[in-house]
Amino acid sequence: MITAASWLCLLAPLAGAVLITLGGTLISRTLAGWIATISVFVGFAGALVAFVKVAGERPDDRAHLSTAYTWFGVKLGFGEFKVPMQIFVDPISLTMMLIITGVGGLIVWYSMGYMKGEDEERRYFAYMAFFVFAMLMLVMGGNLLLLLVGWGLVGLASYLLIGFYHDRPEAVAAAKKAFIMNAIGDATMALALFLIVFKTGTLDFALTFYAAETGQLSSSTLNLVALGLLGGAVAKSAQLPLHTWLPDAMEGPTPVSALIHAATMVTAGVYLIVRTHSIFQAAPNVQHLSAIIGGVTIVVAGVIALVQWDIKRVIAYSTMSQIGYMFLAAGIGAYGYAMFHLMTHAFFKALLFLSAGVIIHHLGGEQDIRRMGGLRKAMPFTHAAFLVGALALAGIPPLSGFWSKDGIIASALADGGPLGYTLVTLALIGALLTGAYTFRLYYLVFHGPPSDLVLAHSGDHKPAGADAHGSHGHGEGPLSMLIPVGVLTVLAAIGGLVVIPGVWEPFLDWIDSAVEPLVTPTVATEYATSVVAVAIGLIGIVIARRAFNAGQELVAEGPMRTVLEHKLYFDELYDRVFSRPAQVVANRLRTDVEEPIVQRSLGEVGAGVTEVAAGTARLQSGLLRSYALVIAATVVVLVIVFVAVR
Amino acid sequence: MLGPDTTWYIAVAAVLFGIGTTGVILRRSPLIVLLSLEIMLNASNLALVGFSRHFVSVDGQIFAISVMAVAAAEVVVGLGLIVAFTRRKMPLDVDTLTELRG
Repeated sequence: MITAASWLCLLAPLAGAVLITLGGTLISRTLAGWIATISVFVGFAGALVAFVKVAGERPDDRAHLSTAYTWFGVKLGFGEFKVPMQIFVDPISLTMMLIITGVGGLIVWYSMGYMKGEDEERRYFAYMAFFVFAMLMLVMGGNLLLLLVGWGLVGLASYLLIGFYHDRPEAVAAAKKAFIMNAIGDATMALALFLIVFKTGTLDFALTFYAAETGQLSSSTLNLVALGLLGGAVAKSAQLPLHTWLPDAMEGPTPVSALIHAATMVTAGVYLIVRTHSIFQAAPNVQHLSAIIGGVTIVVAGVIALVQWDIKRVIAYSTMSQIGYMFLAAGIGAYGYAMFHLMTHAFFKALLFLSAGVIIHHLGGEQDIRRMGGLRKAMPFTHAAFLVGALALAGIPPLSGFWSKDGIIASALADGGPLGYTLVTLALIGALLTGAYTFRLYYLVFHGPPSDLVLAHSGDHKPAGADAHGSHGHGEGPLSMLIPVGVLTVLAAIGGLVVIPGVWEPFLDWIDSAVEPLVTPTVATEYATSVVAVAIGLIGIVIARRAFNAGQELVAEGPMRTVLEHKLYFDELYDRVFSRPAQVVANRLRTDVEEPIVQRSLGEVGAGVTEVAAGTARLQSGLLRSYALVIAATVVVLVIVFVAVR
Repeated sequence: MLGPDTTWYIAVAAVLFGIGTTGVILRRSPLIVLLSLEIMLNASNLALVGFSRHFVSVDGQIFAISVMAVAAAEVVVGLGLIVAFTRRKMPLDVDTLTELRG
């Protein structure tokens, strides 16, 4: 029952994608949207059934492995290396499945309103359903190879969807950038898997983790494997130093940003660390490295977000920063809180993106917050939704972000030592920055006098392309957009209530039944850090409010702001270090090797053949008598040679 | 063994073959070339029969009969070609019939 429901969950979105693809123009655009939405919600139903069943089981029996068939087997030196097609269902993957299909279903539904009137809607919905399948493959894959397959497929789906507007050069460039940065991570991950196969002969979860836990692998092997996996996680989750693709990925449609680049795919790195925690725990230095990467990313992404002008880019940097918290938690072994923050982040970040999408949709595609302002009156519903998302992001109780973020900070404090205290400091600076950049965005978009653009789009005036659905309710957007936003608002508000320290912690118990945490903060620590973190978050909000009222930016003009506007020069650095030298080498190879050697040699060979052929053609004179003479002479010569040799 | 020595037969065959070869090489009329070819074939037949007699084996004679049959067939084709040439008023000169030049 559990495995059947899980297989349904995995295959329903795939069926949806295939159906839309094969249906082609036979199905209408609206029907394509419904097929995608319903297939994802069918997946959600499957996940829900499996969840209810698994939750009813004893905590020790919650892991289910279901094998469909043997995908392939290869004879290697140590015996047969087999990879079965199998799914692994346990509390971690079930949590991910529920988030992916639940939030994913809402976002696909929302897309039906957002994408209405776009060209190639069918292609969009096929990609979306395919992405959900790929992401489920990633989290449900029953062995490391299937995990890598899902890993690669979500990268492909992300590439396709970022580049959805393929007539926009920026979108195509962003898609390529995302794909290449992710390919770096995919490569290190593949190398890690090669090493595992080489040392253990299997990619089975249980066997691999057993080998890591019992010390069958040398520490250098474990370090290399963990580093390879961490490389994949860092690239996929846009952590330093492989983060530069995520802000650019905002070129994709807004629901794509919400689903792939906020709620699900970018959190796959956290899932990977939690899933392979046995390996990371056996390589503690690498695990701490992931915590440090997370901590640094929190602050770096937070300060860059302070100066961005694109509404989606601010939220994108915020996503990086929040995933930094999850890496931090996973790095110190607070797996329950990492997964908890992953879930609440999926709620409030999807909500923020979808609200931003409503605004962008309402304003006819405008994303620059300098041209927004005073939207509070024009869009009361969206304003309320965005405010809930922003408060949840800033960690204000009792909204969801408060419970998960403070749990992470408390865990870092409980971890103690120089590392723990450094991480607490970074996380608290992050809390300050979060409050500041989130509310800078909020005030600039919703408060103050309405801008010209806002005035132009309020009242009876409808944005371009809105005619088809202008008759729907609020005037803020079609209902298919507003309902998912409403549902996510509720989730972002109350989604954190599954962990109330010391009182009611079913979510942590649920995750802990699959993976034991390394640190557990005491209830007193939890509430003490909560007070500090909330105070700091409020200070950030107040700073943003004061700056807004004074008409100032948070970061004043000057060298500091220039550095931040250039995003700490990461793009420029990579351009200088990797891109330019590669171009120089490639150009030199073209002018010095390809043209003079490869190309010319081919030409010479061709000319030589022609010349030889022209020479031999002259022998074929067509003169019968000369042929006969040659034959006769040859016979004579042969006879003479024959006789002479004898 | 009655008659001259085998050497004589081979000598005559060689002379005949030489005459035939010379004809093929020197003459320009296709009719004469065919005729010379026949002489060469018959020279080889003579050699076959001569050796057959020398080794007291009928293999050579059987082979000679086969050669005659093939020669007859070849002459049919050759003469047919020559008739075709004549009908089309093409020159009967192997040096001007050089259409196969590469």
